[in-house]
Amino acid sequence: MKHIAKVLTLSAISLALGACSTGLDKSRNLGNPAVSGNTLAQQVCSICHGEVGSNVNGNSVNPTFPNLAGQQKDYLVAEMTEFHEHTRKDPAAQDMMWGIARNFTPKQIEELATYYSKQPTRANPNPVNPALAAEGAKIFNEGNLDKGVPACMGCHGSNAEGNGPIPRLAGQHQDYLYKQLMAFNSDEMVEEKENNNAKDDDLERPHGVAMEGIAHGLDDHQKHAVAAYLQTLK
Amino acid sequence: MKQSNLLGKGRGPLLALLGMASLAASMDASAIPVFARQTGFKCVACHVGGEYPQLTSLGRMFKLTGYTMGDANDIFNLTTNVDRPPVAVMLQTARQFYTNTTPAAGNGTAPSSSFDLQVVSLFAGGHITDNLGAFVQWTWNKYDGNITSGSQYTQSSGIDNTELRWADRIVTPTKDIIYGVYTNNRSTMSDVWNTTENWTSDWIGYFNAGGAQAPGTFMMGATAQHAEVGVGAYGFLNKTWYGELGVYKSITHGPLSFMTGGATGSTGVPLLDPSPYLRLAYNKEWGPNSFEVGLHGMTSYAHNYNPVLNYSDWSGSVSTYRDLGVDAQYQYVLDPHYFSAHFRLTHEAMNNVLGVTNAGGGTPTNPTDTLNETWADVTYIYRAKYGAMLFYHGATGSSDTGLYGMGPTGSPNWQSWMPSVFWAPYQNVRLGYMYTFYTQMGGVSGNQLTGGLGPHDFNTSMLYATIVY
Repeated sequence: MKHIAKVLTLSAISLALGACSTGLDKSRNLGNPAVSGNTLAQQVCSICHGEVGSNVNGNSVNPTFPNLAGQQKDYLVAEMTEFHEHTRKDPAAQDMMWGIARNFTPKQIEELATYYSKQPTRANPNPVNPALAAEGAKIFNEGNLDKGVPACMGCHGSNAEGNGPIPRLAGQHQDYLYKQLMAFNSDEMVEEKENNNAKDDDLERPHGVAMEGIAHGLDDHQKHAVAAYLQTLK
Repeated sequence: MKQSNLLGKGRGPLLALLGMASLAASMDASAIPVFARQTGFKCVACHVGGEYPQLTSLGRMFKLTGYTMGDANDIFNLTTNVDRPPVAVMLQTARQFYTNTTPAAGNGTAPSSSFDLQVVSLFAGGHITDNLGAFVQWTWNKYDGNITSGSQYTQSSGIDNTELRWADRIVTPTKDIIYGVYTNNRSTMSDVWNTTENWTSDWIGYFNAGGAQAPGTFMMGATAQHAEVGVGAYGFLNKTWYGELGVYKSITHGPLSFMTGGATGSTGVPLLDPSPYLRLAYNKEWGPNSFEVGLHGMTSYAHNYNPVLNYSDWSGSVSTYRDLGVDAQYQYVLDPHYFSAHFRLTHEAMNNVLGVTNAGGGTPTNPTDTLNETWADVTYIYRAKYGAMLFYHGATGSSDTGLYGMGPTGSPNWQSWMPSVFWAPYQNVRLGYMYTFYTQMGGVSGNQLTGGLGPHDFNTSMLYATIVY
């Protein structure tokens, strides 16, 4: 009997507190398709892709998490879809975004992409080595033609603003950009091993084929340099 | 029977290893405990370098928003999570090594000859409604009793850290406000920075005599028994300012007594009259860094022993412990490097009842005593796989021969250092080695302790393997 009383009391407490629900517009439930993209942006995404004083603008504090403000909408849709489908497999994607996006609906992805693409961009507050950034500027504008690397600005735009499925890189965190270049580099090595017939499952970023050879054509120092330069762009 | 004969004396550790191996072999990347199943995150998302219980910024926010973030299937506004069971298990197997092979109070509770499964914890919890979540832990300890006081160890099992939390978060372009209420069964369990006793990383050496003869403050030590139930309210403004007030009381009867099940009405477990708990903190995050500095405090009204029952009882008089401390935390979280450092200093003022045995089993000889307890640790982890930690734990205070009987003068002065290394081949598995050096006990560092022993005689080490699934 005592146990029954405990269970009943607990159930009553739970229901009473549950009744104090603040509603769908403040839900953190990633499994409920009725929660809007805007609500998810506020309640969930802002924890990592947000900063104090302006929590919902999509800019992040820790460089583990990319800035999303002003990102190309098509690119955001593509990436969230890849996280949802578990096709993008760089380590941070697996650690966090696979879980976040596993139940995203196309509608939520569309709403989130629209939301973040419309947020105002800002200068990245983190410092970079100016000499390194200067080297990166040269590669960004002129490429590394000896190794077959074209100028980055050719596709990403003269100010790295991106275009549709080609991401905006301006102001992005140096560490994040470097790690993505390393992911493309690693994919290129898999491709070489498989005579350019690698399966998507074996690649960290299978939809980044265009970047594989480019990343591989930059040595480690040059990858850091380009990433440093991009972080300084506004 | 035949099998156990074949395996003979080694069957315990062998079976433990076999179990671990089969578990490890069956794990896939997403097969991890309760909150990870709910969020789909790997350990490293919420724990620094995957080193639980240390929380990252994301881990702190997950807890402060009531364990509600992640997937939940609502049925009548309550979650079932049928596709991902909201339960998990933690197993710890270990072998202890003691410098002092002559049994004496102060060695760990596990026999030095054992290499066996020593701790099993079961977890449940997560999202219940969009605002309500839970963290429930139940633990079985193989060696809870002190083997040095007799030839047999005693097992124990009972409710461990348990919390029900309701939270709301208001986010606008310029404001971020989290507020909530909770009920749990240990003061400091609600905290999100890993500076206070409940959430420091030395839990792993529980049976390693890591706290041999440690004179802890009431707030950090005595309330570890989960012998109390508290309610509290908190607020976190702009990820910067944190404030919390709670009140704790021992519950021995009624529906909430399940939260103290098996933990009250026995030797060494204090019964508390309503005792207030305070927490204030300033938090700052920049780049991969985060920093916290704060105040923690509690005034505990603990009933002394009833001489007939020989344990803390409502009929006993009341001693008061006023604890107030400062604490700080620094973290660097950016793969492949993870670093954290923690510090706390807690000052305690005791009001004793002379000649009466207090809730902790000591009979003070001074009407008032003071104690300062210090904790510091640093952790470095590479690629969330290879880690090293160093803990320091110390105490200083007024001498009281009735409370601190180990040394010649009744001094509580005490110091220990605990270096350790570990390897996490999978995120669910951790293998480690931990050493504990004692440099001061009972106010002395030489062989002036009872029985002609010195602090170093209590040095211990431990090999361990932990699995969470």
